[in-house]
Amino acid sequence: MEQKLRQEAKALLEQGKVDWIIGFEPGSLKFTTTPLITKDKNDADRLVINPFIVNNLADFLPEIKGRVGIVAKGCDSRSIVSLIQDNKVVREDVVILAVPCPGIIDLSKVERLVGKDRDELDDVTREGDKVIIKVNGKKKEFPVTEVLFDHCLACELPTPQEYDILLGEPRPPAPNLEVSGKDIENLKGLTPEQRWEFWGNELSRCIRCYACRNVCPACYCQRCFVEETEPQWVMPVPRWQDNLLFQIVRNIHVAGRCTDCGECERVCPVNIPLRSLTREMYDMVDELFHFKAGMDKEALPLMTHYEQEEAEDFFR
Amino acid sequence: MANKKVNKKDIAKLLNQWRQQFTVLAPSKENGVAQMAEWDGKDTSFLDWYRNTVIPPKASFLPPMEEMFRFQKDKEGYHIELPPTNEHKQLIFGIRPCDARAMTILDMTFEEAYQDPYYLSRRKNAVLVGLGCTNPCESCFCTSMGVSPTESTNVDLMLTDIGDQFLIEVVTDKGKELIAKASGLKEATKDDEAKAKETKETSYNKITRKLDTEGIVDKLQASFDDEGFWEQTAAKCISCGICTLLCPTCYCFDINDELVRGEGTRFRSWDSCGFPVYTKMPMENPRLEKWRRVRQKVCHKFEFYPMTFNVIACTGCGRCIRLCPVNWDITQVLESVPVKTGVRK
Repeated sequence: MEQKLRQEAKALLEQGKVDWIIGFEPGSLKFTTTPLITKDKNDADRLVINPFIVNNLADFLPEIKGRVGIVAKGCDSRSIVSLIQDNKVVREDVVILAVPCPGIIDLSKVERLVGKDRDELDDVTREGDKVIIKVNGKKKEFPVTEVLFDHCLACELPTPQEYDILLGEPRPPAPNLEVSGKDIENLKGLTPEQRWEFWGNELSRCIRCYACRNVCPACYCQRCFVEETEPQWVMPVPRWQDNLLFQIVRNIHVAGRCTDCGECERVCPVNIPLRSLTREMYDMVDELFHFKAGMDKEALPLMTHYEQEEAEDFFR
Repeated sequence: MANKKVNKKDIAKLLNQWRQQFTVLAPSKENGVAQMAEWDGKDTSFLDWYRNTVIPPKASFLPPMEEMFRFQKDKEGYHIELPPTNEHKQLIFGIRPCDARAMTILDMTFEEAYQDPYYLSRRKNAVLVGLGCTNPCESCFCTSMGVSPTESTNVDLMLTDIGDQFLIEVVTDKGKELIAKASGLKEATKDDEAKAKETKETSYNKITRKLDTEGIVDKLQASFDDEGFWEQTAAKCISCGICTLLCPTCYCFDINDELVRGEGTRFRSWDSCGFPVYTKMPMENPRLEKWRRVRQKVCHKFEFYPMTFNVIACTGCGRCIRLCPVNWDITQVLESVPVKTGVRK
């Protein structure tokens, strides 16, 4: 798959079919990859596909000028489709290099499983349904489902539906999708007062680095509401109340665009379980509007179009 | 003063003695993220898990947010009410040498460049008890920044792991006082000193990430206008604030007033040069493009700070590398700065 990707990427650049390639190259730390954004065909040999290609590269599309060949897992492809629906990206300007994705390894889960930090591990490899973790020279084997990201366990689209070049055999969704995961189920069992307290506590840690927003392909506003000063919707001070308001409004703003790629939660430096908010919103959108973001590029965007026969008549 | 030693199992006793006089802060994950937090009088499990905190100890001196003052407006004008005076007698236990060095770097801005009363009131009354790293992270590069992971500078007392005990070096007069008030310490023997020396050497050699900063100021000056280089360097940056807000030497802050029905509060809170609004002005924004912001961040640490204070504003703690959502690595960036002849004036 990697060889095919390198060849295709090189050919796309050589033939002038794209100006840019966006993919992954090995990162500077163990078990990491890093986005590779390049115009140089010689860089294509650095492209990799492995269980650590965490980033949703669609995040970079709106800011890049020119035609782009982009490596996309299923979830990333949904973000690309969503950006096409919103007219942020022109379909003809992207060449989607589709990766059938068996799920990405969540290193935080690996750390919890073996009680070591990621840089203390000798090796983490995936073999089919198993993950083999080597610590202090000893091999430990676990079912891979124990170390995949929660959103991967809930993945409805491992292989992009919308693509130009398919890099491997398509993969069906896992048979037992864990849609929400334990954390969300636990939260649902709480009273509203308990949930309020829970989120108040969690969001008291927020330092307003905005990594959750900046890493989100659905958050493409040139100017975010948190930066407005007239009126000032939210204080730019990391008080828990303002932090909570920021997250609630962000969540509502990405409703119908959020593809449950899980990036917001992954990047949070203070471990706020943000996916518990976004996934709940995703499910509500599905339940109320029968809409799943980024599944169909011909579908009209959920929150920005209106039809005569819609039930709500307050703005008719 | 001769060096002392303390049994690891007696650390709680020692901290409790200091707790009579100080608010003792120690590494904690209680709040869901590793940071220096008020010690509970019992738990020393951090001795097992602690490598470094996510939130740098600067947060105890320049908190993520603080009230500067409150104000009211009436017919006569504004009335200002300063926050209640607090001695802030903090004892930070377990600060790493990189982060202790960062405090000295912050002092240059908050004490030398101007006198910041909020920062200094905390800083003057605090004591730092350092704890040498024996298990540094893959992302650490302190030795390249002139910091040893076990060095006894920039702290009042320094602890080094010598097996079941810590060797205690007394560094400052404040440290001397701390020792004088503590019971249960023993004199360190020659054997202990030898063990500490060995720990220090081993730890030093565990730092594998290297960065050559030779001539970095000149290189950055010469490459300041190399738009292509900076664009390429910035390409994968997502302009979040992680690397700056969680940097132990970054100190930028924002000031905001909140006015509710005539009652106002002035806050200051962490800010980041990575954010486009950081430099937004009524008519224009000189750093609207991402590459200009990335350049500012790099040059502030490795060019402007050395030119102003003669030190690089980086201690190699590695937080910016291990916490970055896209693995933007400062050591790789600095090594890729083109070598050019001719210095920009």
